[in-house]
Amino acid sequence: MIARKEIAWCPGCGNFPIRDVLESVLKELPVPANKVVLTSGIGQAAKMPHYLEVNYFNGLHGRALPLAVGIKLARPDLTVIAYSGDGCNYGEGGNHFIHTIRRRLDITILTSNNQVYGLTKGQSSPTTDREVKNLLDPQGNENIPLNPVSLAITMGAPFVARGFAGEKDHLKSVIREAILFKGTALVDILQPCVSFNRINTYGWYRERVYKVDKPAENRYEALKLADAWNTKIPIGVLFQDDSARSRELKTLCGKSITKEAVEQMVCTKCVMMR
Amino acid sequence: MEWSVLVGGEAGQGMFSVELELSELLSKLHYHFFATKNYMSRIRGGHNFHMVRIAEDPVHALSGEPWNMVIALDSETEQYHKTDLSASGVFLSPGQVKEMEQVARERFGGVTATNTMLVGLILAAIGCPQDKFSGIAGIASNPDHLSAGFEFARRWGLAGRCPIEPKAPTHCKFDGNQALALGALLGGCQFMAGYPMTPATSIMHYISTVALDHPVHFEQAEDEISAVNMALGASYAGLRSLVATSGGGFALMQEGISLAGMTETPLIVIVAQRPGPATGLPTRTEQGDLNFVLHAGHGEFPRAIYAPGSLHEAMILARKSFHVADGCQTPIFILTDQYLADSVQMMVEEIPSEIIRREYGSFDSSYSRYRLTASGLSPLACPGAGDALVRVDSDEHDEEGKITEDLSLRTRMVEKRMKKSDFLKKETVMPTFTGDPVSDVIVINWGSNKLIVEEAVRRIAGGGVRTGALHFSQVYPLTQDMVKPFNLKGKRIISVENNATGQFAGLLKRELGISVDHQILKYNGECFTVKELSQILRKYLS
Repeated sequence: MIARKEIAWCPGCGNFPIRDVLESVLKELPVPANKVVLTSGIGQAAKMPHYLEVNYFNGLHGRALPLAVGIKLARPDLTVIAYSGDGCNYGEGGNHFIHTIRRRLDITILTSNNQVYGLTKGQSSPTTDREVKNLLDPQGNENIPLNPVSLAITMGAPFVARGFAGEKDHLKSVIREAILFKGTALVDILQPCVSFNRINTYGWYRERVYKVDKPAENRYEALKLADAWNTKIPIGVLFQDDSARSRELKTLCGKSITKEAVEQMVCTKCVMMR
Repeated sequence: MEWSVLVGGEAGQGMFSVELELSELLSKLHYHFFATKNYMSRIRGGHNFHMVRIAEDPVHALSGEPWNMVIALDSETEQYHKTDLSASGVFLSPGQVKEMEQVARERFGGVTATNTMLVGLILAAIGCPQDKFSGIAGIASNPDHLSAGFEFARRWGLAGRCPIEPKAPTHCKFDGNQALALGALLGGCQFMAGYPMTPATSIMHYISTVALDHPVHFEQAEDEISAVNMALGASYAGLRSLVATSGGGFALMQEGISLAGMTETPLIVIVAQRPGPATGLPTRTEQGDLNFVLHAGHGEFPRAIYAPGSLHEAMILARKSFHVADGCQTPIFILTDQYLADSVQMMVEEIPSEIIRREYGSFDSSYSRYRLTASGLSPLACPGAGDALVRVDSDEHDEEGKITEDLSLRTRMVEKRMKKSDFLKKETVMPTFTGDPVSDVIVINWGSNKLIVEEAVRRIAGGGVRTGALHFSQVYPLTQDMVKPFNLKGKRIISVENNATGQFAGLLKRELGISVDHQILKYNGECFTVKELSQILRKYLS
């Protein structure tokens, strides 16, 4: 058990309940603990793996996803979860977010989305709402916020969900389903930042979130759900396509390159490529 | 005796097919040859030319002498290269090629047969008997098309123009990138991620081809940032991993290189150089990125940089790099360039029969990824193999891999990482010397210039000044032990590099205090030729 004082988050941080949820989900997974790997990037949320008993590769800002892709391709036997914040997964790593979904791998992407940069003390993030004032936006944010849930649905992700740090039991079941789902799964987790986001507070979310009973019928209906924000915010599994198939991966680890492979390389024709 | 041929035309006219098929046949027929190309960054049009040197002795460079034969598929080739034909040289005009195309269409139903006909014509010119092809296994060329080429050679009086004896022993034929890919496989490489970039792309092609049927994976990444991080993920997860790119792509990988250094994740990075800055000349050659690779990645961590000078060195060093990267748990770099990548040559040396692989120990739950040890090396484990949890972190970390800001631990961790460079010392690749053992002048070079310099030094031998060539295929680290056997004191030192600032000469001065007396530098995007280099050397020696 990790002592609270070792944890680098502010008292009341939305990441605490997410950590508790993750800890119990991992404990109850039908997968041996040593077969689970967390990747993370940089930011307050990205410190998560340090506070769990799990294999992890805490990499660079924005790069949790390519790390997860490399690990999954190398080791299909591992359960791979990429965990980071909105700045990491949607800003610095925005391109990887799009392309990781395209790769059709059985990876779970979890994002602590607090709509602000916490570790650098309060700048706008890709998900900050219009006109919100932050440290580097004294005149108010002029950018359109990125909607990660809509983007994932549009990109063809077969499992797209939204959770709320203030609804632990619900969040637990959503994350568990996401991890057990055979395919790329996103859970965007609404996470209040008690230090730098005075707008999207626990109270603000509690007034708006409601649980969806079941995923939308199709992508278009799911997009309508994903689009709702200002007054009512649906949480739960918004879209799930059980017919989607992940890429077939071959076992590599423990297999040896043979003389035949070398032979094939020796006999390969030269090419001229640019 | 030798015979050099240039085939030029617009991109897409089939010159590469001629080079490919000719080098394939020359190899099968045991002719010594060297083939390379000069091409533009476009798929159609422009002016490209392919050069093949056929000889009775081993050749591994462009001679730079006037061409014995120029085959012009277009008028530009005539305009640029006809003037560089030897006095007794053969010029095949676009009109003559058209004539061959006419026959190709009539007899074989399409102009593409012209490629093989041209190969037949060249073989006829070097006196290759027409009946020689039957009975040799694996010849894919159409015998009728070849015969038609021989007919043209006879009709135009070219047959047997310059008879060359096939004298090559048993060998393999590769381009530089293929030798690197082969070496990577022999080194146990099972994962590669990459984003296409000239001149590194064909390494990805070779690996992805083998990956079809063997326990190897190639993933095309969305960018080089992703490629390097994927490779690090795969290496962490248990596979020997590789990335290859050129300068611009390598620029994007910087942060990942540093991550490999901090997390102590083994990684091989091939940087295939082309002229910069920025996009530069995408399809030409340069040795301009030595300093870049030397200083790549923020922060301090050990590294080695290899720069193979031949196909054999490319294969051996690519193989070895995986052993060293695992042994030192750090990124290892291989510097090559467009010239070596795109040159097709024969390799007479044997291919190592043993495929080396990564071995893991078994660990229990007390395992710590960054355990402090006397050697600085902590045992490597991969996740999911036992009870050990494998925790790695890009932040400064404690022995368990947990983030820390304990500054005395920071000091120990820095020292631990740097201590690993002792391993690199044990694995030093010595420079190679050729030429007069009691030389007064030493021509220092590195990377792909090796065999050009060696031939140039052979050519000027007997000119009064005893000259030797010293080639570095390990350009970093440099140690006194590497140069001691060659006793450089009191000798005139000339350096040869394909860059504008003499980067390796600067490194020699910085690391070993060796001053170079003259620098021979070329940076127009082309390799040195033997003639060009020997003329410059003679000037310095007189």
